Amino acid sequence: MTSTESLIDRRQLSYIAAQAADARLNVELETEGMTLNIGPQHPATHGTLRIIARLDGEQVVWAEPSCGYMHRGYEKLTEVRTYPQVTALVNRIDWLGSFANEVPFILAAEKLMEIEAPPRAQWIRTILFELSRIANVSLFLGDLGVQMGAITPVFMAFRDREYVLNLIEGATGGRFHPNFDRIGGLKDDLPAGFIDETRVVMKKLRNFCDEMENLLFGNEIFQSRTRGIGVIPKDVAMQYGLSGANLRASGVDWDLRRDQTLPMAWNKVDWKVWTHPDGDSFARCWVRLQEVRESTRIVDQLLDNIPSGPVMAKVPRIIKVPEGEAWVSTENPLGEMGYYVVSKGDLGPFRTKIRSASFNNISIVPWVLKGVYVPDIITILASLYFILGDIDR
Amino acid sequence: MGLVDRGRLPKPLNSLLNLGRSYSLWVYQWGLACCAIEMGAAFGSPRYDVMRLGVIPLPASPRQADLVVISGTVTDKMAPAVKRLYEQMPEPKYVISMGSCANCGGPYWDSYSVTKGVDQIIPVDVYVPGCPPRPEALLEGVVLLQQRIRNEDMGARWRGEGSKPIIVGETTKSAKSGASKSGAVKGAARVD
Amino acid sequence: MSTDAVAAIPGDTLRERIVDDLRSAIGDALLDSLVKPGDDVWVRVRTDSWRATGLALRSLGFDYFCFLSAIDWMPSPFGKGEDDPTAPAPERDDTIKQGYAGGETRMQLLARLVHPTLHVGVNVKCDVPDSEPVVESWIPVFAGANWHERETHEMFGIGFAGHPDLRNMYLPSDFEGHPLRKDFPLLARIVKPWPGIVDVEPLPGGSDDEEGDAE
Repeated sequence: MTSTESLIDRRQLSYIAAQAADARLNVELETEGMTLNIGPQHPATHGTLRIIARLDGEQVVWAEPSCGYMHRGYEKLTEVRTYPQVTALVNRIDWLGSFANEVPFILAAEKLMEIEAPPRAQWIRTILFELSRIANVSLFLGDLGVQMGAITPVFMAFRDREYVLNLIEGATGGRFHPNFDRIGGLKDDLPAGFIDETRVVMKKLRNFCDEMENLLFGNEIFQSRTRGIGVIPKDVAMQYGLSGANLRASGVDWDLRRDQTLPMAWNKVDWKVWTHPDGDSFARCWVRLQEVRESTRIVDQLLDNIPSGPVMAKVPRIIKVPEGEAWVSTENPLGEMGYYVVSKGDLGPFRTKIRSASFNNISIVPWVLKGVYVPDIITILASLYFILGDIDR
Repeated sequence: MGLVDRGRLPKPLNSLLNLGRSYSLWVYQWGLACCAIEMGAAFGSPRYDVMRLGVIPLPASPRQADLVVISGTVTDKMAPAVKRLYEQMPEPKYVISMGSCANCGGPYWDSYSVTKGVDQIIPVDVYVPGCPPRPEALLEGVVLLQQRIRNEDMGARWRGEGSKPIIVGETTKSAKSGASKSGAVKGAARVD
Repeated sequence: MSTDAVAAIPGDTLRERIVDDLRSAIGDALLDSLVKPGDDVWVRVRTDSWRATGLALRSLGFDYFCFLSAIDWMPSPFGKGEDDPTAPAPERDDTIKQGYAGGETRMQLLARLVHPTLHVGVNVKCDVPDSEPVVESWIPVFAGANWHERETHEMFGIGFAGHPDLRNMYLPSDFEGHPLRKDFPLLARIVKPWPGIVDVEPLPGGSDDEEGDAE
C-alpha cells in the first residue's frame, strides 16, 4: 500500500500547502469572516441539517451543525406508548433501513422478559436486517454521486433499491416502515417464492455494486475529492463514539455483529469485516461499498439453511415487560444503534434512551471541518453518512 | 393581466392556459423525512417516473416552482422556513401535503415539537394520506391536481376564492360518513 | 488483558474484575454496583467524582464513548395520557424508585463506555442533586460528550460545570421547560386523551391467553 500511502501523504501535503497559501492570501486581502448558512433545505444535505460555517476566504474557520429541525421527541413519546406502538414508531428513526431500528428495541424487551425468539424467527430477522442494510447503503452509494455533481448514480440506486423494497414489501407489507417485529418473534412467516426471488435480487445488487465501483470509485474526480480529505484518526473517532463504517474506515476492527452474542443468525454464517487504514472520506465510502457486497453474501448464505418451525414464541396476548433495565445495540446500516430500556412492569417502557448512530457521527463535524474548503464540507458530510431522523430522533 | 382579475378571460383562452399550466408543473420538493424517500422514488426513479405526467421535479429554487410537495414531519423549528419558502413561490402555486405527518401530525400527534399538520401554516390543495404513501398515491395526487387545474377559473382564484382541498383515496362513502370534516372533493370519482 | 485470557474467563468474572478495578481506582466513590452475569454491569458513583470515574474508566481501557444521558425516576403525574380531561385526576403512586445500582435522587445521569478489544461495556450512573442539578462535564475526558451533555441539559435541565457552550441542541432557544422530565405534559394528550387499547389483534398460530388482562 506504499503507493497509496504516498498518494495520501502527497495530497495531504499539497492540501496543507494550499491552505497555508490561502491563509497568507486571506491576510493580504483582508477577507473578513463570512458566515455561510447551508440548509436546512438544501439538495445536498440528507434532510434538514443546517450547517453554519464561518469562512475566511474559501476555508472554514469553524462549522457548526444546527440540529433539531426533525426533532420529533421520540424519547418522550415512547413513555406514553405500549411496546407494539413503540415498535411501530421506532421504525421511523432511520427511515431508509427501517427494520433495523425495530430489532434492538425488541431484543431489549425480550431480554427483560427473558424469552428468545424461535430460531426461524431469528434467521428471518437477520435476513430482513441485512436487506434493510442493503436498501439503506445502496441509496448512500447513489447519493454519493449527487454530492459531487454526478446525477446518474441516483437513478440507478433508486432502480436497484426498488428490487429490495419489493422483497421487503412482499415479506412484511411495507416498503419501508415494515413494523414486522414483535416481542417473541415476527408477525408472520415468509411468503412463498421469497427465497428464490431474494437470490435473484442479490445477484442484481452485486451487479449494482460493481457498476457503482466502476462508475464512481475509479473516477479521477471522485478520487481527488475524497482522498486525503476529512481524515479522522482512530483515537478521535473513539472519543466521539463514531460507529459503523466510519469507525472501520479509521482502522478500528469493530463490528457488533461479530463481537456480540445476540439471538440473531450472524454467527452462523461466514463473512468478513472490512476495514481501511486511512480514515479519509474515500475510506468511508469504500468500506460501505464492500459492506453492501458482504451483506448480499450473508443473505445468500442465510437463505440456504433457514430452520423450520414457528416464527413466534409463546407470549401472552397483552405484554407487560417485567421491571428492569436492559441495553441492546446492533450494527445498524448507519452505525451502532442501541436502546436502553427502563421498564417498571408496565405495558410500555418507563424510559427509553435511543442511542442513535448519526448523533455521534455528526458530533465530530465541528472537529473535522476545521480548515477545509467549502466544497469539501459537502463531501465530508456525504462520506460520514447520516439520516436526519437518526440525529434528531 | 387585467383580463384575469376582472374575470373577463374568454373561456377558450382560459382552458388553453390551464392546459398549459397543468402539464408543465415544476415541483419544488420539500423532502423532510421518510416521505421524502418515497417522493424521491416517485420523482427520480425510473419506475414511478413523474416526468411522463409533465411534471418536472428539478427547479433550482422556489422562485421557479409552481408546486411544492411537503413530505415528512414539519417540526416547530422548521415551520418558519416552510412559511418563508412558500411565500417565495410566485402565484399561482399549489401545495401537496404528502404523508400523515404533513397532513395532521401523523404518528407524532402528541409530540411537543411537531406541528400538527402543515395546513396550520400554509393552505393545502391536495392531501395524500399514508405513512408513507406509495409513490403511486403521490402520482394520483398529482393527476387529481392536474385535473383541478384544467378546470380552474383563474378569475375566481385571483379574487381569492379558495377551493376545497382534495384528499387522495377518498370515496363517496367516506365523504358522506363525515370522514372529511372540511367536505373535500371526491377523490377518485368524477371530476366536474 | 490479552484476548487469550479473555476467552478463558466466563462472562461474569470479567465484569466483576471491572468493578474491582474501578473500586481500586476511585475508592469509596463507587457507591453501588450490579453485575448481571453474561449480560451487563452497572456502577453508581458519587456525584463529585463523576469526572474522576470517567478518567479512571478510560485508563482501564474503556476508550469508546457510547452515550451520556439521564433518567428521571419520578412516575409521571399524567400516567399514559389516557385520563379523561373532564373527570378529576386519578390518584397515582408518586414514590420515586430507582433502578439497578440504586440511587437517592430523582434524576440520575447515565453513561455508557465500551472497551474496544474486550467488547464489554459498563453503564455508569450518578445521582444528580435535587436542589442544585449540576454535575461536572465529561468533555476533558471524552470530547464526544459535548453534544450529549447539551442534549441532557436541554431535556432534563441538568447543568454541566465546565461545558464551554451549553445551549439547546434540538429545541428552539425560546422553548420553555425540559421535555423529558416526567412533569412536562404532552399537551395534545391532555386535551384529547388516547382511548387506550381499543382492539387487540389475535396472534398468529393460536392465541394463548396466559394472562389475558384487558385494561
